[in-house]
Amino acid sequence: MRGRTFAPVLAGLAVLLAACGSSTSGNSPTTGSTLVFGAAVSLTGAQSKEGGLTKQGYDLWLDWINARGGIVVNNVKHPVAIKYEDDQSNANLSATLVQKLITDEKANFILGPYGSAATASDAIVAERNSIPMVEANGAAQSIFSKGYKFTFGVLSPANKYLTGVIDMAATPNPKPTTSAMLTANDNFSVEVAKAVEDYAPSKGMQVVFTKQYPAAAPDVSGLISQAKQKNPDIVMNSGHLAESIAINKAAKQLGLDAKIFAYSVGPSTPDFISALGADANYVYDGSQWTPQVKYKPTFYLSVAEYVKAYKAKFSSSDDPDYHVAESTAACLAFQKAIENAGSLDPSKVRDALASLDVMTFFGQIKFDSRGINTFKPMVVEQIQNGTHYTVYPGDVANGAPKYPTPSWSSR
Amino acid sequence: MSQFTQQVILGLLLGGVYVAVALGFSLVWGILNIVNLAHGALVIIGAYITWVLFTRLHIDPFLSLPVDALALFVIGYALQRGVINRVIRAPLLFTFLLTFGINLVIVSLLLLIFTGDFRSVTPAYSGSGLHLGSIVIPYIRLGGLAAALLLAGILWVVLNRTRSGTAILAVGADRDAAQLVGVDLRHMYALTFAIGAAFAGVAGGIISTFQSITPTAGDPYTLQAFVVVILGGLGRVSATVAGGLAFGLIEVLGQSAPGLSSSYANAIAFVVLVVVLVVRPRGLLGRLA
Repeated sequence: MRGRTFAPVLAGLAVLLAACGSSTSGNSPTTGSTLVFGAAVSLTGAQSKEGGLTKQGYDLWLDWINARGGIVVNNVKHPVAIKYEDDQSNANLSATLVQKLITDEKANFILGPYGSAATASDAIVAERNSIPMVEANGAAQSIFSKGYKFTFGVLSPANKYLTGVIDMAATPNPKPTTSAMLTANDNFSVEVAKAVEDYAPSKGMQVVFTKQYPAAAPDVSGLISQAKQKNPDIVMNSGHLAESIAINKAAKQLGLDAKIFAYSVGPSTPDFISALGADANYVYDGSQWTPQVKYKPTFYLSVAEYVKAYKAKFSSSDDPDYHVAESTAACLAFQKAIENAGSLDPSKVRDALASLDVMTFFGQIKFDSRGINTFKPMVVEQIQNGTHYTVYPGDVANGAPKYPTPSWSSR
Repeated sequence: MSQFTQQVILGLLLGGVYVAVALGFSLVWGILNIVNLAHGALVIIGAYITWVLFTRLHIDPFLSLPVDALALFVIGYALQRGVINRVIRAPLLFTFLLTFGINLVIVSLLLLIFTGDFRSVTPAYSGSGLHLGSIVIPYIRLGGLAAALLLAGILWVVLNRTRSGTAILAVGADRDAAQLVGVDLRHMYALTFAIGAAFAGVAGGIISTFQSITPTAGDPYTLQAFVVVILGGLGRVSATVAGGLAFGLIEVLGQSAPGLSSSYANAIAFVVLVVVLVVRPRGLLGRLA
């Protein structure tokens, strides 16, 4: 009832506003058709947490771009809408939903889902429909090894996740010399671990223990007690949040002491600290982005402004974690590519993405011939007194690594 | 050698968790002939109750186990009386569908109430353990095993030494005959399901002490309970205990087998399951129906 009475008033207001807008200047952009982005993200199921963060990143940009009237193409402002579908954390369902977004919702472009598995299946759909997809949450290189032309990833690939930790570990004197590498058995995690096993010996570090475990394993104490037998200086895990929490708990319970504990995914999220309390201290992780990095963006927000905008929009006291930032970065890549292309034609936007090279708050976005952003470095974070500090590489760091990690009994 | 002993101990500790999870599942399956696919969701409700009591009221997780049991008893009784009772004599497929649906509803409700954030119960002693030479036994896991065995004891006493327990067993043996001798079937069905749910709640409380919980964290436990019951055999408390401990041992020893990725641990566990089914179809200690 209320809606009906207000509708004419709102319509009138809109006409009035439009009239004011056009009267101010002759060559200011006119408003064009709405651009529809489709995204199938995990809003329920096992990955609802990460899926929610992905959506936050997209929505943050959506507000910003629409507050400016939309994406400017040939002096026409196109407002943006994002249509969401919930893949229920099921990678197979994700592809179906993306097809639905393209056919039923008439999505012009596709924003990626959460996770390497879903991204890999969505990439096939994007390719088949010749619709560009920019994704921010699938780091497995296997996605990009199939010669797809329409899929681009803004994040650093999986093989770089923990190699930064190895570089950092090589700096103290004497440096740690042995490491244990635990990994979940999904594509992404195995790639991360494989890269460490290949890279560590070149820095004089021997990988003395490696073991794969099934993803989402609730109990890892058997693995930790085996790793303890090898007495490694560095304990690394390549897995996800649940497993990194479980491993840290088991390491304490079983008295596995190491100079460095580093986990690929998990410690960067606020949940890791709230779940583990003081036991989260000293843990390192490789991160796509931290709120402390010092990049000089050429458009959109600065890092500090981004953090502020996030906290304001989501009434949060926590900083945005990298899942949010990389998801926003995917939108930025699209925005810039569409502007550069000067066209809404999918294949022209695709070509503009392929030649894109911009600096954002998230770091450089530039794709290699496979569509991977190999130009942005990973950073290393450490939790110190319940707070995240960026500790490596030195030029973007805001703290020094606390090394070595004290033994569990002396904390 | 000490490494092997350590692995055996860790296997038994994990097995304790499986025992706790499977006791209620086995009871409901054995007596009501319902394979309760919502069992894992009931487990996680218990885990969330323990988490809420721990974070809000600072109640030790082991002290909150009776609260879990009571709350889930009430939920279980209502769920059976109100919903599941409608399909109690329907073919197995209907009970599958219904309990699968209940599982989805509970998980979605938990997601609405608690969000997908990872929750963890971390009492002060959660990192310490009993050190015997180079062998470490985490206290919190030891507590979990003790609680699981205590649960098994309670269930045995209830079934074999109380009037209600005898009635429950009678219903399991022959519904119509039980009704003929005056057993209130509807009450007994609900009571059985309520006890099963209460045990699931306690299992959830135990799980919250060593694993971070999310609304979907219970799903794997439904499958594990199923395997434990098949492995141990249906219809006896001791069979569930044997099945749970055996499954825990197989998993941990499978993980530590040299040269094998621990991804094979599940495969090994299921191979053992198939072998048991072929060689001894009623399970390690089960009775023939």
